[in-house]
Amino acid sequence: MLKSQDLSSRILSFSLRLAGIFAAQENCFQYLQQGELLPTLFGEAGPLGGAAWTAPTVRSGWVQGLRTLARHPSALRFLAACGAVDTIFSLQGDSSLFVASAAGQLLVHVLDLAMRGPAEGRRGPRARDWPACAQKIVCHIEDSLCSAATPQVTQALNVLTTVFGHCRGLWTQGLWVRLSPLVARLLEKDPVPASHSLVDLLLSVARSSVLSSDRGLWETLAQTLSHLSPTQAGPLALGILKLQDCPQALRTQAFGILLQPLACVLEAAAQAPGTPGLLEGAAGDSMTVDTLLSSKSACVGLLCCALAHLGLLQPLPQRPSPWPQVPLLGAVVTILRLCSGSAAPTSDVGGRLCAILVGCGRVQRAALDFLGALSQGTGPQELVTQVFSILLEYLMSPESSSMVLKKAFQATLRWLLSSSKTPGCCDLDPHTQQFLRELLPVLQKRLCSPCWEVRDSGLEFLTQMTRQWGGRTGFRQALLASEVPELTRQLLRDPESYVRASAVTATGQLSGWGLRATPASPERPGAQQESLLGELLHILSTDSEGFPRRAAMQVCTEWLRDGRADVAEDPERFVAGVLQAASRDLDWEVRAQGLELALVFLEQLLGQRGSRCPYSVGLPETAPPGVLAQALQVLCRVQLFEFAFRALFDCDRPVAQKSCDLLLFLRAKAASCGSLQEAGDSPSVASVEATLQRWQAGEQGQPLGYLEPGAIVAVLRSVDLEGLRDTLAESSDHVEKSPQSLLQDVLAAVGVLGENEADCY
Amino acid sequence: MPEIRVTPLGAGQDVGRSCILVSIAGKNVMLDCGMHMGFSDDRRFPDFSYITRSGRLTDFLDCVIISHFHLDHCGALPYFSEMVGYDGPIYMTQPTQAICPILLEDYRKIAVDKKGEANFFTSQMIKDCMKKVVAVHLHQTVQVDDELEIKAYYAGHVLGAAMFQIKVGSESVVYTGDYNMTPDRHLGAAWIDKCRPNLLITESTYATTIRDSKRCRERDFLKKVHETVERGGKVLIPVFALGRAQELCILLETFWERMDLKAPIYFSTGLTEKANHYYKLFIPWTNQKIRKTFVQRNMFEFKHIKAFDRAFADSPGPMVVFATPGMLHAGQSLQIFRKWAGNEKNMVIMPGYCVQGTVGHKILSGQRKLEMEGRQVLEVKMQVEYMSFSAHADAKGIMQLVGQAEPENVLLVHGEAKKMEFLKQKIEQEFRVSCYMPANGETVTLPTSPSIPVGISLGLLKREMAQGLLPDAKKPRLLHGTLIMKDSNLRLVSSEQALKELGLAEHQLRFTCRVHLHDTRKEQEAAARVYSHLKSVLKDHCVQHLPDGSVTVESILIQAAAHSEDPGTKVLLVSWTYQDEELGSYLTSLLKKGLPQAS
Repeated sequence: MLKSQDLSSRILSFSLRLAGIFAAQENCFQYLQQGELLPTLFGEAGPLGGAAWTAPTVRSGWVQGLRTLARHPSALRFLAACGAVDTIFSLQGDSSLFVASAAGQLLVHVLDLAMRGPAEGRRGPRARDWPACAQKIVCHIEDSLCSAATPQVTQALNVLTTVFGHCRGLWTQGLWVRLSPLVARLLEKDPVPASHSLVDLLLSVARSSVLSSDRGLWETLAQTLSHLSPTQAGPLALGILKLQDCPQALRTQAFGILLQPLACVLEAAAQAPGTPGLLEGAAGDSMTVDTLLSSKSACVGLLCCALAHLGLLQPLPQRPSPWPQVPLLGAVVTILRLCSGSAAPTSDVGGRLCAILVGCGRVQRAALDFLGALSQGTGPQELVTQVFSILLEYLMSPESSSMVLKKAFQATLRWLLSSSKTPGCCDLDPHTQQFLRELLPVLQKRLCSPCWEVRDSGLEFLTQMTRQWGGRTGFRQALLASEVPELTRQLLRDPESYVRASAVTATGQLSGWGLRATPASPERPGAQQESLLGELLHILSTDSEGFPRRAAMQVCTEWLRDGRADVAEDPERFVAGVLQAASRDLDWEVRAQGLELALVFLEQLLGQRGSRCPYSVGLPETAPPGVLAQALQVLCRVQLFEFAFRALFDCDRPVAQKSCDLLLFLRAKAASCGSLQEAGDSPSVASVEATLQRWQAGEQGQPLGYLEPGAIVAVLRSVDLEGLRDTLAESSDHVEKSPQSLLQDVLAAVGVLGENEADCY
Repeated sequence: MPEIRVTPLGAGQDVGRSCILVSIAGKNVMLDCGMHMGFSDDRRFPDFSYITRSGRLTDFLDCVIISHFHLDHCGALPYFSEMVGYDGPIYMTQPTQAICPILLEDYRKIAVDKKGEANFFTSQMIKDCMKKVVAVHLHQTVQVDDELEIKAYYAGHVLGAAMFQIKVGSESVVYTGDYNMTPDRHLGAAWIDKCRPNLLITESTYATTIRDSKRCRERDFLKKVHETVERGGKVLIPVFALGRAQELCILLETFWERMDLKAPIYFSTGLTEKANHYYKLFIPWTNQKIRKTFVQRNMFEFKHIKAFDRAFADSPGPMVVFATPGMLHAGQSLQIFRKWAGNEKNMVIMPGYCVQGTVGHKILSGQRKLEMEGRQVLEVKMQVEYMSFSAHADAKGIMQLVGQAEPENVLLVHGEAKKMEFLKQKIEQEFRVSCYMPANGETVTLPTSPSIPVGISLGLLKREMAQGLLPDAKKPRLLHGTLIMKDSNLRLVSSEQALKELGLAEHQLRFTCRVHLHDTRKEQEAAARVYSHLKSVLKDHCVQHLPDGSVTVESILIQAAAHSEDPGTKVLLVSWTYQDEELGSYLTSLLKKGLPQAS
């Protein structure tokens, strides 16, 4: 086939990869060698010199084939003999990113393979003892590091990054000793070439257990930090601070890099001299100031990076200590003020920054994220008040975009929750109380926003707040005094389905804490709840979108689980109503949620499911026969069996799986109380089984009819639930994925699908 | 040297998983973020590690643009924004913004349902991703930041599909997404103005095809449905919720009305209302006919097409059912197919592409015995038909678009390599522009000429206007001024203003030339001769003979001096300012010819 003139590049690529897979086994490799197939594919006689080589897929296949093949010494000898290493060198600069990257990785793989092998123990740090193939690769890396062309330097640095990231042999030490002077020499150039790759390499070396004790490395890192521009140095600084063991001086230097842009902002915006800065004693670094003021994009880029890096560092255990929480809070509040235009800096630099940052959504988003992260620490009350005030300013501002508002809501939530963490205190402090009073009218306004994203973010915020604070008097009072509960209820009819779903969840949460829109009449305390239940059932049966129906099912399940008074009054009616609505639903996730509710109901009737812990002692929880019979009667009345059996043959797999679990649980419960009279061969059982068979065949038109508990137990025993569970556990395309099915596809595809292929979408 | 760089991460010599990275004047834009329906492993999504390698995604990318709601153009978006971590803006048109989450949700449900994938994006992630979307209107210039702007053009293809122009300063790229140059039953044809971008990135699905008339395909479709219904069979048409389904519905509705057919047509419940809602909402995006008749009759409210109920599938007699999903891989369409497959009177019509592994793909490739779950074998006796209704531009259409936009370069994506090669040659021959077709991962670099914006002072413009000539876009005019660079801005101002602004003193620069004149008389007389000669020749100019003996013509000064060595020769010193350069040169050449002999 390879001799064919018009061989398609895809087939050639496939052949190269396939040959690689075969030749990975040494005996298979020998066999292919005898047939001289490998040189025909990978050697100079192969596609290498021909027209096919212009197709990236062929080059990619060549690299991948060699990558799989290179697993044994014979392969290494083959690579050396056929001159493959030189081709790999040239492929590092391939026009295709994929080929170039794969070639770099192949080079590392070959180097590692050459250095392993029988003499591995003896191949210590001294490079002159290394095998020829490894020497050749290392010389190539050395040449590339000295090259004046940045792409070549980048390639060498990337290869080295992979080496130190993946190879663990002692020889890596020797390699670093040999190459580190060349790497350090890159820092002497201005600008530093391939700075991004250089940072990656240095961090990779620092993380490598073999090399991290090298003192010279810390010096190189410190030099690099001072040579790179503030924007380039950020990722390196973050990487250094994440290292476990690293000299304190270097950590301080790295932290200084991350703080510098914020320190500049603080200094520029300081109203009076003497305001505490971020970096005590150090004046604003001129390079950072220059970058901040050079152009809008440079300023925005640097600030966003610094904020993001500090945000990533904040939750880590190895973050610098002491953590400058107060000046950081001050800086981020200042940045947010500069962005909103509410700051009035007096200095020249401050004025310039203000002009650059005002209205900049990107910095606003990054600063709000970081502000949220800072909620994990504390701050003096005065500063916390400033935080709440800037958050309120953003939440109120008509200029805030929907994404900025979302982030402002998220940051507010985090600050509110952290501000009330005081142990043992069940109510809110006066400051928080005051803030809530100001916040709720803003939330109210946002719930009426014409933008669905904003309404939805507002509802998500409300749900989270209520979940955490629903029991706190201060929150309850403030919320009930506002129109928020009423508005939330109105949003159940929002034109946007996402908002309706969030409104359903929020309403469920509010009602769970008894935070109703208007006080229920004293005569009928359940009236309000009832009408809400009616509303949820209405949504369940009529809403055209899945999200609100799914949310409604979740609320119903929570109500049942929590044993809410009004549901507990007549749970049968409640469950029957919800299951009836769910059974007709076209959305399988609603039906699956219906089964979840059915399971909660079952557990309430028959007791919890047994512990799934494999080491727990299996004590059978026997329910008295009378209880079981009664429970089954109830289940029949709410038509739970009809729902569950239909679900068992549902065309959507997760529903069938869930139903199978539920019925297995029920059967186990029934088995534990054997004295229940089974209706063995009664006509009722036969008719149920016949109906189930029809359902399984896809004819689900006929109803199950009324069932006797005895018949249920009999049917449960006769259906092969375990077998069904095993079948369902396999993904529904396991048949299509089978080799036989694939072979059928391949055979059928020959010459048929030519034109259809292009008719995608 | 400024340049535009384009790297397809998907759709490079390939159909599916569209994702193209463009770097233009230092800005990085991702065009589409699609998935490949043919894969369920990591090849499903584009390999974003090539972007994350350059640092944080949100810092690297300035924006993401989605051309339309098909999953091969937006299917990876929630993964990219919520799982890989892109937090910047995403731009798409309003209909795409409305419909995109429905398709993503459909796709998520199938992935979780069918394959039981746990590590997949959730509904919440889809919602969070959609919150990052900024909707754009057609022909509205949206400023992404101070330098980068984008503009959407109508693309046909599906509701809300758009082509996008990306512009930074004077450099621009146009990305077509998928488009259709001929109107169909419900949408219009793509259109773009003569925007002359540096680069046009166009899809090339039908790079070598001149498609037959759509009318023939429609007639064929109707004939097949009609014949099946006439003989009492049932027709199943698996479709995706929105798009082609509506086009086929309009077709059948009109046919049923005309032929007065009675057999029921059903559409999966929920979808009709949803589709209606969106088509009503976005009526300006449909074609002219639908828009015109909308006031009297909404073409998307069907008389003959009813909502489908599960129980109907068992009803006897003929019927036509549109059911989702479109590839018969799960859900309702598969359920109905299983019921009807055994009857040779029935028919299934697949109106679109099916990926490998789906039942749709199997029956289209001719398999008649399908192994289903639980070792059941389903024998397919019903007729299986494939009809292409996809709305892409054919070769003629692509050439037409290139002609419309007049790009400097063309880059082909979303097509097969061999077909692209053919089209590439055609484009290069016909339009004399370079055409590229990079494979996935290959970068195309195009040098562009640097362009620096220059402001012009009002004073200078007013002075130009005062000369009486009104500006005319078609007739470029030369404008003299002084270019000054101040605060990294370039401005063209009058020289007086430049001196004032820069605080400089004016220096007069005069050019001088010596002309040798054969004349034995005294200098004064020679000057007088020059004066009278020029006076007679230059009638329109002000020629003066000054008391010191020198002659002036406008700003040009002529003085006569004796030759130091040759008394028979006089030296004429001619000097002029740079403003009178033309006249000065003329005068010197005139004087070099000598003076007329005195009579």
